[in-house]
Amino acid sequence: MTRQTRRTLLKTVAAAAVATTTPMRAYAQGEPIKVGILTPLTGAGGNDGPRMLKAMQAVFDEVNKAGGVLGRKIEPVVEDDQTNPEAAVRAARKLIEVNKVPIIMGTWASSVTAAVAPVCWESKTFIMTVSGADSITALPHQGFLIRTQPASKLQATAHAQYIADLGHKRIAVLGIQAPFAVPTKEHLDAFLKTKGGGVVSHVIYEKDKPTYRSEIDQAMKEKPDFLYLNGYAPDTIVILRDLFRANVNLPKFCQTYAVPQATLDANPADVSEGIITALPSADVTSKAYELAKARLGLSDIDGFVSQATDWASLAVLTIAKAKVASGVAFKDNVRKISQGGGVAVSSALEGLKVLADGKEINYEGASGPCEFTDIGDISGCRFRWSQVKKGKLEFVKLV
Amino acid sequence: MEALQLILNGLMAGTILAIPAIGLTALFAVLRFTNFALASHMTIGAFGGFVANAMLGWPIIPALIAAFVIAGLFGVVTDEWVLKPLRASGFITTAIGSIALTIGLENLVRFAFGNQMRGYNLPLRRDWVLGGGLRVSPQQVENLVIAVVVMALLFAFLALTRTGKAMRAVADNPMLAAIKGINADMVARIVSFVGMGLAGLGGMLIGLDTTIDPLVGFKTILSVFAAAVVGGLGSIPGAVVGALVIGVGEELSLLFLSPAYRTAIGFIAILLVLTFRPRGILGARQY
Repeated sequence: MTRQTRRTLLKTVAAAAVATTTPMRAYAQGEPIKVGILTPLTGAGGNDGPRMLKAMQAVFDEVNKAGGVLGRKIEPVVEDDQTNPEAAVRAARKLIEVNKVPIIMGTWASSVTAAVAPVCWESKTFIMTVSGADSITALPHQGFLIRTQPASKLQATAHAQYIADLGHKRIAVLGIQAPFAVPTKEHLDAFLKTKGGGVVSHVIYEKDKPTYRSEIDQAMKEKPDFLYLNGYAPDTIVILRDLFRANVNLPKFCQTYAVPQATLDANPADVSEGIITALPSADVTSKAYELAKARLGLSDIDGFVSQATDWASLAVLTIAKAKVASGVAFKDNVRKISQGGGVAVSSALEGLKVLADGKEINYEGASGPCEFTDIGDISGCRFRWSQVKKGKLEFVKLV
Repeated sequence: MEALQLILNGLMAGTILAIPAIGLTALFAVLRFTNFALASHMTIGAFGGFVANAMLGWPIIPALIAAFVIAGLFGVVTDEWVLKPLRASGFITTAIGSIALTIGLENLVRFAFGNQMRGYNLPLRRDWVLGGGLRVSPQQVENLVIAVVVMALLFAFLALTRTGKAMRAVADNPMLAAIKGINADMVARIVSFVGMGLAGLGGMLIGLDTTIDPLVGFKTILSVFAAAVVGGLGSIPGAVVGALVIGVGEELSLLFLSPAYRTAIGFIAILLVLTFRPRGILGARQY
């Protein structure tokens, strides 16, 4: 994975902006339809946000090249949420009040989504997110929110199953202060108890601290046999380093998003050796996944990139179905094109053609079938397990 | 035993915190405003040291000197160009200007180096285990020694050199110092160099034990500010005492508070001091 600096990112955004605006006028008529992209280009999510942005832009480019939707081109307006709730709310207000976008896609951190969601539903703006905390879909969002990421419960239970299968019983959880911290610990504990184990210590720590020595001491007091690290990349680097220094050689789990190559490179290789990671997987058997890979020119795409591909596709198809781009139209129509008995389609282009023929569609995405419950959750998901070996993340299996 | 380990961790953290806190308090003593641009100068020093150490391959001590000099030079230039013109409008305007300056400089670092975390070119060593199971990291001990040496040099500079005495004179009574013919502008430049140099050094020392990114200064500034206020703004020994109090306080709070609330200790300390002893532990007067 290439590193994304702000500079290369700006170039990409500028190039994409030029690419999306220049040739469009020849095809699409009328005012462009603006859609909001609010994703972390900097901060803890800075490794995933830029890739999600590219995936969404690629879908919009493809649609625009083929003539747009409702005879209009799609114009993404991009803001950086900085993985920071306060900055994100400011950016969301700008997108909604200045750019008048009917939809916002791309928030990553649960704390950011929890802060932005009320701004969205109050203004009848639709939001699609990758945030996993259980509390996100439990918000009173009146249907203005869906997420393609499995909730904490689904994730934590899958993790607990895997950890229990490895034979570990006494788990210490070190979690960053975030909306998913406590629910994750509770779901882990609940599942492990059924296997005769449990969470023996749980420490919630503050982000941005230069050292976590004392937090580690607290977690280790109960003599665990496994460490579950539930943080983001910046703090995980420091925790891994402090664990090494403290001579703690227990097997460890991290979320895959917390150990991008930057995390691994920041420490000597033996500090991260053997870490097990998991990430909700893309649906690697789907046609949408193959199309997304080809669209982005990549040999492999992860769960985040495939989810971003699905948001952009769902947005385009919902607009085509509703024949209008408003937040209420998204709320009322997104399930009409993502589930049900229509013709299965794997991309926005394919869906647009079928819709133009007057038929119903069922979008089957790159991240999964994209079938949403009433509160906006997906029902199931596969997990991609990896392990750190000699400073690199290696694929282990799909579960 | 747990408390002892926490006190030890706190003393280590406090000693590192003391260096930028001395910088902040020295700047305040002479220039009479709280210079929040200290945060970005910590970052600049940390990245200056990173260039010297990780990119040019210098050993740690010369890299630390580079961190001091680079941050110091930035301090002089930014003070001359940005903050000095603001000083006539009062200390609040200048302090707010320094916040704007720090955001600008931080983003300059972000543009130059990108947003990702970086580490110095240092071997990572396991902790030493002392008697009774107490642990201490060799890096922390080295940082402690460096911090103590720097503080000793600074005290010698202030007590023994002519320039140091001039700085103290301006801090003590600017009008009297002016009557005695001390060039206040020159003293302002020197204190900007030394104060921001110390910030840069502190930024790099924090980075040595952890990692650096453009926010390294911003993340620490509250604790640094708390240390300077608790010790008594304007008092250099006070900054050292304040830093140790904050360092140990943040760690000991873990005995009864969740680590998630650790930063609150800085605020609580400021609140207590401002309520019961507004001039700080060792402060000579109330500002």
